[in-house]
Amino acid sequence: MNFIPALTALQWVVIAAIPPAIISLYFLKLKRQPVEVPSTYLWTRTIEDLHVNSIWQRLRQSLLLLLQLLVLLLAIIACLRPGWRGTKLIGDRFIFLVDTSASMSASDVGPSRLEAAKKQTLGMIEQMESSDVAMVISFSDVPRIEQAFTNNRSSLRQAVNKIRQTNRRTNISEALRHASGLANPGRTSEAGTSDVQVADALPATMYILSDGGVPAVPDFSPGNLTARYLKIGTATPKNVGIVAFTTERNPEKPGQLQAFARLENSGEEDVEVEVALYLDGALVDASSVNVATDAAEGVNFMLNDIESGVLRLEVQAKDDMSLDNIAYATINSPRRARVLVVTPGNDALKFAITTEAALRVADVSFAQPAAIETKEHETLALANAYDLIIYDRCVPKVMPEANTLFIGSVPPTDDWVGETPKPSPLIIDIDRMHPLMHLVELGSILIYESIPLKGPEGASSLIDADNGSLLMIAPRKGFEDAVLSFELVGQYADGEINAKTNWSRRKSFPVFVMNAVRYLGGARANLDVQGALPGQPVKLRTETPVDQITVESPKKVRTKVEREGQNLFVFTRAEELGVYTVREGADSEAGQHFAINLFDSRESDLVPREVIDIPYFDEETERVGVHATTAEPSRQELWKLLLIAVLLVLMFEWYIYNRRVYL
Amino acid sequence: MSSSQTDAPLLSPQLLGQLERLELVSRKIFRGRMKGERRSSRKGQSVEFADFRNYVPGDDIRFIDWNLYARLDKLFLKLFLEEEDLHFYTLIDTSSSMDFGDPTKLHYAKQLAAALGFIGLCRADRVKIEALGTSRSNPSPALRGRASLWRMLEYLNGIQPGDNVPLAQGVKDFCLRNSGQGILVLITDLMDKAGYESALRFLLAQNIDVYVVHVLSQAEIEPDVTGDLRLVDCEDSDVAEITVSRPLLNRYKQTLATFIDGAKEFCTRRGMSYIMTSTETPVEQLVSNYLRQRGLVR
Repeated sequence: MNFIPALTALQWVVIAAIPPAIISLYFLKLKRQPVEVPSTYLWTRTIEDLHVNSIWQRLRQSLLLLLQLLVLLLAIIACLRPGWRGTKLIGDRFIFLVDTSASMSASDVGPSRLEAAKKQTLGMIEQMESSDVAMVISFSDVPRIEQAFTNNRSSLRQAVNKIRQTNRRTNISEALRHASGLANPGRTSEAGTSDVQVADALPATMYILSDGGVPAVPDFSPGNLTARYLKIGTATPKNVGIVAFTTERNPEKPGQLQAFARLENSGEEDVEVEVALYLDGALVDASSVNVATDAAEGVNFMLNDIESGVLRLEVQAKDDMSLDNIAYATINSPRRARVLVVTPGNDALKFAITTEAALRVADVSFAQPAAIETKEHETLALANAYDLIIYDRCVPKVMPEANTLFIGSVPPTDDWVGETPKPSPLIIDIDRMHPLMHLVELGSILIYESIPLKGPEGASSLIDADNGSLLMIAPRKGFEDAVLSFELVGQYADGEINAKTNWSRRKSFPVFVMNAVRYLGGARANLDVQGALPGQPVKLRTETPVDQITVESPKKVRTKVEREGQNLFVFTRAEELGVYTVREGADSEAGQHFAINLFDSRESDLVPREVIDIPYFDEETERVGVHATTAEPSRQELWKLLLIAVLLVLMFEWYIYNRRVYL
Repeated sequence: MSSSQTDAPLLSPQLLGQLERLELVSRKIFRGRMKGERRSSRKGQSVEFADFRNYVPGDDIRFIDWNLYARLDKLFLKLFLEEEDLHFYTLIDTSSSMDFGDPTKLHYAKQLAAALGFIGLCRADRVKIEALGTSRSNPSPALRGRASLWRMLEYLNGIQPGDNVPLAQGVKDFCLRNSGQGILVLITDLMDKAGYESALRFLLAQNIDVYVVHVLSQAEIEPDVTGDLRLVDCEDSDVAEITVSRPLLNRYKQTLATFIDGAKEFCTRRGMSYIMTSTETPVEQLVSNYLRQRGLVR
């Protein structure tokens, strides 16, 4: 046991003077109340035997004096702050990184790993000297500075107590960068000045309280930081979690749906669990799954006559984390795109857009360029009668109220500029992340000529070539316009059609067309928003070009979301796991649903890691990476118990005084 | 000192009714000065035959037993027991220490003296109630007969505490002024620092039937004191400083018990009756039960 005196020297001198003062008061101030009695004859004979006038008899029999001295003694010991298991905190500047990811909700350490981490952090804060400073950062996949550097322990305690559990994944890299900001100050990079350090390096000790389920951070430099990893969690947690849950319609049998889930067991023993599937809250199927230790197992369900609804998959197992025991999937009604192809004649395009796959998701109609001059077409185009209009080698007078794809032509607006065509463009780069270019391999396609394009503000190039962009896409109010700057086919003077590129004969062309139908046409063959992670922005599209949608969370919290300039809405409050409902505009009925699930093998694997993989050399262990420390620096102190004892003794003294109880 | 019970009358009507049926009893048959309702060992003129003796010229011929002369042809004189009265004395300690308690010990003593005195008056005994320290110049009256009841009560009501005559001195003075034999009841708290032994020895020398009624208040038997106290003796202002605690109180009770046992043994060894009573014991209960058991009344 050791002591951390909580008082200054002068305060100790004052406290030391109190016991003699109390004792002297009992002797000097002993005022006896005079009482007349019939005779002191018997009293005199009595007190002669007991010698009650002696000093030590008074002390022995003065219960109240003893109690007051006991109160003082307990208070003095409390001021000394006795405690044990106190490994002193290293250094005088501390950074506490507290993991708040989904895996920290595990209950193998009661009540949860996060609460255990907070408790340890509070214990370390109590160990701080009055001149020490500390900051508190909580992190999941994003860091959050709960408290900047301060020596105010009360503020630090409040900050720790405010830390809340999240459902997010873990990514420590940003948190580490925040932490290293003070210990490793940056340098100026202004031109014309010598490279100087903007602030003095202040070494700090960083305590990471986590279960270690973080991805590696290979490009982090600790610099002046000393890292300590306090592993939270038991060595043998039990968890069977759902790491994938998807649905797929049977392309040959409309209405038939297959649901597939994958379960992972991170426990030490093989388990057999019951898995139940619910549709809109009603049980539709169940299955028993054996999952071996440290292995995964799949489970399938076949559902018939399902048009739309919400699927909930539940693993009925008692394990240490419940967040991954439930998964959701939404089945939204398939929506067919309304596509108009305006072309003087393009067999490749016609064939690509009339494939079985395309016709499953789109209603395609064709028109000649002359038709777009008619009033009827203009009316339809402006009345949002189409989701996508493809202008092949033609342009409308007025841009329609729809998404557009211009092939070999430039939209008739001032902000689109097409220059003189240039021959044989060579493809340099493709934006494969864009949905239009998904699975589109252009390889070594040949293009006769292309129009160098300049797009409006916000335009992005999806295919870059040596003489400019071959494919650009730009927002226009609630729509998007994509422009392919080269023609697929041309026409000789005699009307004969000639190919302007060999791309239309490649397999990637119909893929591109299908992508255009899905993306620009808004066809919803996909049954839900795929891959939506907790805490991450969710991009939503609407059937109608509304300016605002309302998203209702699983806990019935409604949030209005404004359009982001395209027919795109970005919802940034997907923190809760479950099914969200989207209402378009002023509609009270739900337009679509989407689900947010954890689906992370690393979060579901509750076994605490021994090492946090960052490029850090631990001088104590002479190993790379931050290894879990065995010493628990938190300190158990007795002062609170001692103060409670003081209160109890005071209450007992009051009782003695009022009840005149004697020894 | 509370006067709540001290203001009660000395003899209640109910008590008077009970006392009328009692009479004082002496273990020794004493000769009084006047004829009372008691037997005397002196042979005199009464209806109760005692003995015969030979006729001597000059004796009263009315007491010659002629039947015996007819049979024995000799003259014999019949002798009879002569009836005499009983002297009943009550000595009351009127020191300041008797003025404590509720009712005060002095009031209790007066009640007891009145009760016993009433019994004696009803039986035509000679009753004399005296406070210790009464001087020769102002003696207490001797009373006889029921008609003297009011005089007795008047005298008792006039007794006031504060006469701190040492017990031995007071008893000695009484014995010198009252040489008659009879029954004496000493009502006192025995709280004399010089001791009670010499006082009781004076009474022994009187060859008188002595009853010592040791009166204590409840506060003296079970002290209800707390804290640090400075006890002041009401008679001599002696001081005792105490810090009340449970061991002290236990020790006090032991001292009191020893004191009472000592007095009881002293009296018993010397043929005196000793009764310890608390002021909380009703006088009628004391007279009807305890004094009856001791043989003072029947």
